[in-house]
Amino acid sequence: MKRLLPALLLLAPLVATATDTLHLYIWNNYISAQTATRFEAACGCRLKQDYYSDNEEMLAKLEAGATGYDLLVPTGNAVETLIRKGALQPVDRSRLPHFANVDPAFRDPWFDPGNRYSVPYATSVTLLGYNATKLTELGLPTDTWALIFEPAHLVPLKGRVTVLNSPRELMAAALRYLGHSAQDTDPAHWRAARDLILRAKPYWATFSNSTYIKDLALGNIWVAHGYSNDMVRARADARAAGRPFAIGFTIPKEGAVLAVDSFVIDRAAPRPDLAHRFIDFMLQGDNAADVSNLIGAGNPNRAARPAIRPEVADEPAIFPPAETLTRLEMLRDLDPRQRRLLARMWTEIKVK
Amino acid sequence: MKHSAWLWTAALAAYAFLYVPLAIVVLFSFNDSELNASWVRFTTRWYAKLLGDPDMLQAAANSLLIAIASSTIATILGTMAGIALHRWRPRLLPFLVLTPVSMPEILLGVSLLLFFRQVLDLTLGLFSILAAHVTFSIGFVAIIVRARLAGMDEEIFAAARDLGATPWRTFRRVTLPLILPGIVAGFLMSFTLSIDDFVITFFVAGVGVTTLPLQIYSMIKVAVTPEVNAVSTLLMALTLTLIALAARFAPDTLRRSP
Amino acid sequence: MRGSSSTAERGARLTRWLVTAPPALFLVVFFLVPALIMAAASFREPGEFGGLAPLASTGLTLEAYRFVFDDVIYLEVLVRSFAVAALTTVICLLLAYPLALLIVRSPKRQRDRLVLLVILPFASNFLIRIYAWMMILGPLELLYTPFAVIAGMVYVHLPFMILPLYTNLEKHDPVLLEAAQDLGAGAWTRFRRVTWPLSLPGVLSGAALVFIPVLGMFAVPELLGGTGDLLIGNLIKEQFLDNRDWPLGAALSLLLTAAVLAVAWLSALLTRGRSAS
Repeated sequence: MKRLLPALLLLAPLVATATDTLHLYIWNNYISAQTATRFEAACGCRLKQDYYSDNEEMLAKLEAGATGYDLLVPTGNAVETLIRKGALQPVDRSRLPHFANVDPAFRDPWFDPGNRYSVPYATSVTLLGYNATKLTELGLPTDTWALIFEPAHLVPLKGRVTVLNSPRELMAAALRYLGHSAQDTDPAHWRAARDLILRAKPYWATFSNSTYIKDLALGNIWVAHGYSNDMVRARADARAAGRPFAIGFTIPKEGAVLAVDSFVIDRAAPRPDLAHRFIDFMLQGDNAADVSNLIGAGNPNRAARPAIRPEVADEPAIFPPAETLTRLEMLRDLDPRQRRLLARMWTEIKVK
Repeated sequence: MKHSAWLWTAALAAYAFLYVPLAIVVLFSFNDSELNASWVRFTTRWYAKLLGDPDMLQAAANSLLIAIASSTIATILGTMAGIALHRWRPRLLPFLVLTPVSMPEILLGVSLLLFFRQVLDLTLGLFSILAAHVTFSIGFVAIIVRARLAGMDEEIFAAARDLGATPWRTFRRVTLPLILPGIVAGFLMSFTLSIDDFVITFFVAGVGVTTLPLQIYSMIKVAVTPEVNAVSTLLMALTLTLIALAARFAPDTLRRSP
Repeated sequence: MRGSSSTAERGARLTRWLVTAPPALFLVVFFLVPALIMAAASFREPGEFGGLAPLASTGLTLEAYRFVFDDVIYLEVLVRSFAVAALTTVICLLLAYPLALLIVRSPKRQRDRLVLLVILPFASNFLIRIYAWMMILGPLELLYTPFAVIAGMVYVHLPFMILPLYTNLEKHDPVLLEAAQDLGAGAWTRFRRVTWPLSLPGVLSGAALVFIPVLGMFAVPELLGGTGDLLIGNLIKEQFLDNRDWPLGAALSLLLTAAVLAVAWLSALLTRGRSAS
């Protein structure tokens, strides 16, 4: 045991976190390694990232004692919840000289009037990504939720479809397909959506929030319900690996969920100074453009526009035209009673 | 023996079942392909990437520190518990010592999470992980130490006492040397349990304190690259070395431990 | 004389205290109290944002239990978890038995090496072992199927079956088998009448070491399973780390605890029945 002590002492400096570290809790595949490295160089600090792949996961993790993050990147509904919970600190506009770059259309959102707590970072749409080569071969439509809900389409796709492992997102897709709002909380409509999902489930391979990127790129999966930026990633991965097929993605015509993801600062952030520096860094045009060019997300930053490559800027599933925008909705958070009801339905969906 | 043919076949199949998957993991850690679906060409770049990855190094350092600290504490407490179980056959202690060992891990993880958050309102981190690891390791050490004591001749201790040795002296001079192999085995066991634990750590880990298994889980779930294979290979090499050392210095621990 | 003996007695009591108290205290604080808190949490209401609602405003309630028993789905998940655990245990036994027999019947010098060969893969982290199966089953188009879950469960837990079996088989007296052979018993009869009955304690302890952890395992179904492979461990994890419904998670945990205790009790009963007969 005596020999252990010096060993422990040697390890101690490794364990003690470097003083200048910014802890960022962010969606997976939402900030490119290049951008992160550039920020680290500019700031002379470390950017430590943890990832989540669902807002619920992030909120639950915070509730379960994940204190110590400086910055989070929640979607609108989760921002609203965090504000009501008192879990955030206001952003100090005076430390964000580049805030003016935010597109006025994205300022003053319903979930945070006046942008007191949040600064918009990127947008994504929950849609269908697919193996275009395969689907053309099979003669299947790609612009409708019917692709993942109608047994007629699903028969040749059996075991080749993944859907998000997120009760909110999957219900939203089903509700839109049934002609309801994604925000609908009417239990009767929920039950109808559940039945629709249960009818289609036998044809699906699995529920997946992040692994579908790889499965699409490999060709294991032909249709995935997921986020637009993840489909961009799958497409790029498949191209880079020289896979013999093309990946496509389309916003279903019945409408879909739009996510506006914003930077917010945790109330207990150990380093609000670094958090502000990071936000302002990300607000600068060239840096802001990265999330579109390298990740494939929509961009709420005016100054980024000129730097965004045309093939990204012209992609309607990334920058939806006005006509499509009318069919996109943002989610609202649920109260505990609704959460429990949804959890029950979700369990039913998974068990039956 | 007549049936040795089928016995050999079955056993070989079982060994193949044990080793082929791991061999594939090791092989594909040298594959020069981000997607890692089929073999492209040999590279060691994933190892280079791994060794330059500060998150990974930090996680490894955390794992090591937690394993050393928790197995040290667990060995001390577990040895005491093992002795107590053997000497005095107390009524409540077996329940306390043996239940955490025999319950599904998730239950300990969840209840500790509730305890740390709801009662202590603690910031999860090194301390919570440490406490959790000690809790599930004590039982294993106690069982091993008690087994060691059970195989021993009680007369020796009586003789030491009769010769006027104080309890402490009896312990230092007689008991401790005799049960030392058990204590070492217990230490190695709890070290392995700690450095390997995922389920309980998953519930009680906090921000900025990741362990290697948590890091591996996040990589498998979010962004699988051959880096996962590389870290797996290195970890296997490390445990291999540890086992080789254990086999060299305390041969009988391997056979007794689980 | 009396005085000194009572001093010795006091000394003995003090020793006993000093040795027993630290581990007992530690486990009371970090095991017993948390377990009781979990039990208590199952009678609370979920908070608005997750966690538990303040006790003062909502009081205690049986709501979580009503929710669990209101519908068969939660019990269905429990039953399915039992089925998966049972199947895993049986397959582990079928794979482990010949292996353990082989090791026992090989020359003494080789035994340690062969046992080591069994422990080695077990020394790699279980996530790595699951990941290995993801790599194998993906191209075979077997990933995300019930088969994948069972394969992963078996692969993760196999050593827990092999080691107790080996320890047990090693103790058998070869004279018994020779005697049976002398009496004209064939290989199969020798196995059925001698080896198998003698190995039952090893089988039972191996079964317990596999069965109980499988019951609570969530990582295997999560990483290898398909749309229907949800086990009780996944449900519990989801309540805490996705759904923010702690009371429901606590109630489900207690359900699992009860199930595990029932299994342990049953296995103790079986073992005792064995040793009595």
